[in-house]
Amino acid sequence: MPTHDTDLADRSGNLFESHKGYDPRIRLFYFVTAALLLILAGGLSYQQLFKTDVHHERERQQNQRRILIPGPRGNIYDRHGQVLVRNRPRLAVVLYLDELRSAFLAEFRRIRTNYRETGDKDLPSSAQMSTLARISVVQSYLDQVNAILGRELTVDSAQLKKHFASELLLPYPLIDDLEPADYARLIERLPVRSPLQLYTSNTREYPFGSAAAHTLGYVGTTDSVETDDFPGEDLKTFKMRGTVGRTGLERRFDGTLQGEAGGKIFRVDPAGYKLVDREADVKILPKQGKNLTTSLDIDLQLAAEQAIGDQIGSAVALDVRTGEVLVLARKPDYNLNDTSPHLSTAVYQDINQRDALTNYTIWGAYPPGSTFKILTSIAALRSGKVLPDQPITNCDGVVKIGNILYKCYNGKGHHGDVLLPDAIAHSCDIFFYEAGRLLTPDVLAAEARRFHLDQPTGIELPLESHRMVIPDPAYKLREFGENWFSGDTANTSIGQGFVLVTPLEMACFIASVARDEVFTKPTLLHDANAPTQHTESIGLTSEQRAALIAGMEGTVTYGTAKSIFSLPLYKIPGIRIAGKTGTAQVRVNKNGKVGTINLAWFICFAPVEKPEIAIAVMLEGETIGEEFGGGREAGPVAAAILKKYFEKQANPAAVIQAFKPAGN
Amino acid sequence: MFKRFDQARPFLTLGLVIAAWLVLPTVIKIFARASFFELTAPVSVAASYAHDLREYWSLRLHSNGELIEASRDLARLNASYDVAVQQNAETLAQLNRLEGILRLPAFPAHRSEHARVARRDFSGWWQQLVIRKGENFGIPVGAPVIFSGGVVGRVTEVRAYTSVVELISSPGVRLAAVVEGDTRTISYQGGVNPTFGSAVGIIEFVPLDIDASALHPKRLVTSSLSGIFPPGLTIGQAVKVDPSQDGLYKSGEVKLDERLGALTEVTVLIPLNPE
Repeated sequence: MPTHDTDLADRSGNLFESHKGYDPRIRLFYFVTAALLLILAGGLSYQQLFKTDVHHERERQQNQRRILIPGPRGNIYDRHGQVLVRNRPRLAVVLYLDELRSAFLAEFRRIRTNYRETGDKDLPSSAQMSTLARISVVQSYLDQVNAILGRELTVDSAQLKKHFASELLLPYPLIDDLEPADYARLIERLPVRSPLQLYTSNTREYPFGSAAAHTLGYVGTTDSVETDDFPGEDLKTFKMRGTVGRTGLERRFDGTLQGEAGGKIFRVDPAGYKLVDREADVKILPKQGKNLTTSLDIDLQLAAEQAIGDQIGSAVALDVRTGEVLVLARKPDYNLNDTSPHLSTAVYQDINQRDALTNYTIWGAYPPGSTFKILTSIAALRSGKVLPDQPITNCDGVVKIGNILYKCYNGKGHHGDVLLPDAIAHSCDIFFYEAGRLLTPDVLAAEARRFHLDQPTGIELPLESHRMVIPDPAYKLREFGENWFSGDTANTSIGQGFVLVTPLEMACFIASVARDEVFTKPTLLHDANAPTQHTESIGLTSEQRAALIAGMEGTVTYGTAKSIFSLPLYKIPGIRIAGKTGTAQVRVNKNGKVGTINLAWFICFAPVEKPEIAIAVMLEGETIGEEFGGGREAGPVAAAILKKYFEKQANPAAVIQAFKPAGN
Repeated sequence: MFKRFDQARPFLTLGLVIAAWLVLPTVIKIFARASFFELTAPVSVAASYAHDLREYWSLRLHSNGELIEASRDLARLNASYDVAVQQNAETLAQLNRLEGILRLPAFPAHRSEHARVARRDFSGWWQQLVIRKGENFGIPVGAPVIFSGGVVGRVTEVRAYTSVVELISSPGVRLAAVVEGDTRTISYQGGVNPTFGSAVGIIEFVPLDIDASALHPKRLVTSSLSGIFPPGLTIGQAVKVDPSQDGLYKSGEVKLDERLGALTEVTVLIPLNPE
């Protein structure tokens, strides 16, 4: 018989589910739930305990932005502390877009409301309205500036869009390179606390304009800003544009001159706007790069360039003792200020059209002409084939070498039984043809190589030429597949034919001769305590050297350069000068017309008794067939440099000590 | 329950007032603020007049002998000023002639409006004066204010009978300046000045070749390029300049005139041809 409870259960079975206090099947559910909870707790613990750094790092990367500001470049000075290159502040009025989020939003709403009120179905998209809002807000700030300066500038929408997309945290330039009057007006009239601010960047300035343009070089802009110690390398970074040396010392010493970048690290909101009223987490001021003190003497440089004037050519002056370059001039040149803040296409084309960009002083390879006779003399004296007091030939104006008649192009062409000093002074070609013949081409070439005339000098400038040629029979056979003729020896002995050197090499050569050594390493870096350079001795006896120097001094006093150095304008009282003129011919194609132009050379050193300065000048004749000679054309340039040099030596107080460069 | 409500009533009222203020339209707020200042202005002015009256009665207490002596000194001063005025007139005429020859643009002309100082606020928050002239004398916002020692500041607020002048010691004032004898523009801005300390300003964008120290200070004057202040008015003495790290400029400190804290009378320069 069923009990009352059983009845109830049976009956309720239809209406209610019966409930058991404990069901073993539920264990599985407990287990699964517990396992899931354990996994969740474990996961959370793992994330919290072991992955904290990762999440912190992610959060940091997401919330922080880095701005890098390149440091200004170091200055460049001449050997007496005159500033040759410095930085000019460049003032701009800028707008900090990252502070305008609420303004953009308000303007966006206003524009949207206006569009909606018009009832136009063809509404712009949200992105388009955002762009319109930004342009409108920025224009309103620009209008404030326009009102102050009386201008009517409008916002460049494409530039703004680009800036907003990629450089939001960088100041947006409204007007660049402000005039002093505009700057003064804006200082007083712009609100002190405003997204509109005055901003200072810098650009290169060259107080001497085109002076030493090829040596100093110019800079260009770059997006690459080097940062060694600035934190936050993994953060999203906005970089202000920096500068990089493109030519000359600016390029060669870019690493030294380059400033140390500074900048800031900001916190931003999810949209990338800087958090208002919050100071930068990190703020490091940019530092100026190291200064560079060159060996150039700007007074001598200017004297050389003025003397060259509108001609095409180069002049190099070296300190005989140290090899420091006092002058490195090249014309035509260009005004370095035209390259700053950037080299425009028009300016570049103009410079290029005038062939003024290349520094031919170190890159151009030219036949040295009769200045090479100094080397031929040295080789001949050392070999013993030529004695100082014995003539080796009789110059009657013409000599037959092989089947060709070679003329003596200097003087009247009848030097007679000429001795070495007079042969140098009068630049007797026939004497040196004979000396070359006695020497043989290999000995001549070996002597030239001993003076390193076949190698770059290693000066601290980019793009020094490797194209110099010191020919010998093997060279001719290798390059032209032809045998060497006696005429080739004759040409080589007077610095013609295949011989090619740079003006800088000839300066180093004459400085070496002045020191009675075989090599001078030129340097553009000034060191007040630089030691005297010492290399291998030339190896002439005192008698031989006296004959060589007598010939070189004779060039100036009674020889081929007398006509210039005897003029009151170029005379330097009390100073004995040893020099050598040279005129070389090169075939050129000028505006479709093929012919020969002359190169006028003059190399010298002074004072003879204790040499201090060595000079090489090379000027190019501009017209085919033009009478253009070494002493007459190149001599005045060397004379102008010498005159200025000894003027300064005589009056050291006149040496400008305008500014002592800080550091190095 | 009701008792507890009564106790909370003041806080509730305050809360309601704040809430009402927050939701009030901006126009009403501006009106209320302006009304407040206009209503309180007479208090400041009255206090200023009372101060003047006190000065007057203190002067009345001087003996006849003292007054005669003061009159004599004053007469001497007047005589020297008369000479200075004549010299100035001559210099001005010469200046005009030279400007004419060089075809230089004329500096903006001003009308001078002398005003008594009604109140001075010097604190870490405010660096300002209230003067006893306002719209009633045609004073515009932005007008330069000077005194015998140089620049005082600029008018920032103009009310019916009073104006507020922000002093050059305030960080909110920025001027185009030059070092005396130089032509390159420097940015001058008021510094963060303590309540009782001597006022200083800061200069930025100082050319690298300009030096100044406490021993050899340089006079800082208004620039002729800005167009707001007449050129050559003293701002202060540059007592320190240091090169910035980037080597482009120097920045430094300017000591301002001690009298700025005790001014009783100033001159407002009202442009005759406002832009």
